[in-house]
Amino acid sequence: MNQHDPIVGRYVYVQCGGKTYRTFYEEHGEGIPLVCLHTAGTDGRQYRHQLCDPDFAANFRVIAFDMPWHGKSLPPSDFYQMEDEYKLTTKFYAEFIVAFCHALELKKPVIMGQSMGGNICLELALRYESEFLAFIALEACDYSPGWWIDALNHPHIHGNQVVATATFGLMSPESPDDCRWETWWLYANGGPGVFKGDLYFYSVDSDFREHTAKISGRVPIYFLTGTYDFACTPEMTERTAEKVKNSECIIFEGGHFPTSEDPATFKKVIAPVLKKILALDHPDRRSAATGFATLNNGRTPQSVGSSPRNAPTGRRVIDL
Amino acid sequence: MSRMGSRKSFDLEWVERWARLVNEDRRLPVIGRFFDGRFVLGIDDTDFLIAVNQGKVQRIAESLAPNDFGFEFALRATSATWGKFAQQIPPPMFNDIWAMAHPLHRHLRIDGNAMPFWQNLQALTHMLSLMRKV
Repeated sequence: MNQHDPIVGRYVYVQCGGKTYRTFYEEHGEGIPLVCLHTAGTDGRQYRHQLCDPDFAANFRVIAFDMPWHGKSLPPSDFYQMEDEYKLTTKFYAEFIVAFCHALELKKPVIMGQSMGGNICLELALRYESEFLAFIALEACDYSPGWWIDALNHPHIHGNQVVATATFGLMSPESPDDCRWETWWLYANGGPGVFKGDLYFYSVDSDFREHTAKISGRVPIYFLTGTYDFACTPEMTERTAEKVKNSECIIFEGGHFPTSEDPATFKKVIAPVLKKILALDHPDRRSAATGFATLNNGRTPQSVGSSPRNAPTGRRVIDL
Repeated sequence: MSRMGSRKSFDLEWVERWARLVNEDRRLPVIGRFFDGRFVLGIDDTDFLIAVNQGKVQRIAESLAPNDFGFEFALRATSATWGKFAQQIPPPMFNDIWAMAHPLHRHLRIDGNAMPFWQNLQALTHMLSLMRKV
């Protein structure tokens, strides 16, 4: 007998900024809508493990969509006439997420995003809090500079290889090899210039440092960041969370792509958060299944040493 | 040796051991097939010149000399930084070249022409990760 994942994929037409976007999404489960936002330059496949997990599906309608230009969602039909390179803006990103939720007629969904999908939670909390039940901001902070660089979209550089390799070090060396390389592969699948264009939002158009303290706190925000994230370090997340009312901050052993680089560890880390969110919601929206059991992340960060050396003298050459 | 690795002494002999691991690697002939050029591995005040041809190290030299006719790019950091990078399980922020060079951290400096650095990033990343087996 053939084996299938329980995921179902469909296309929905989303109106945003005067244009129509044929948008691909995948879903599985019943209950509270849990809308998952992929990282820069990739697509909803980053959530395939959570989409298939019966513990998620017991209480949540897990939905992962591909942003325009990503995965199976196309760019706008007139993209070839654009006079500037692709750049994701804070305004469009937030408006599109809200428009997607409206297109699916979702009532009070939870937003779970990682990296740029985590950072946009701050904008959504500031401007659209009435739309959402809670935010799960993975690998998120209020300012993440240093990534909008030309090497990521240059005709002399292999874009697929360079974006996938430039992000590989964001993962923990202790995450499973097959999951890390699958994440590498997802990064190598992006369209030309899309990763860099997303990083315009991530590093340039999303300096929220002046805004985070203005978030009302009526909608809870759960921040979770892995120890190996060098783009959004644990300290950057902690500093952000300190400014955001009604937020929690969890630092765990892992990297920047927790849903795909180490789904087993991520499940342990996210379980208590999802239990809290279930308690926030009306019981009618979840099934009788218990879903998540109590799971804890038992690993702790490793300490490191350094290695002094003696300066050499003279010049020696070795031909190999 | 602890799980995090042992102390490293970064002399020419250590660089040679690393270079021989590079040349024994079975993936680099494929992913490094077009990686030709010279780069500098800077450790504290010492520049080691690394000459690469088709993903294999042809020559290593301790310090630079006029007859080298320069190099394309240099990766320079302290021995403490390279020591962390070369640990079997490197600590956060030291597990990757771009992580160490990123403007947020600046543990490593990329000098010279960064173009061949980015062009060969996949092979270079794999090549340098072999330091963890020296």
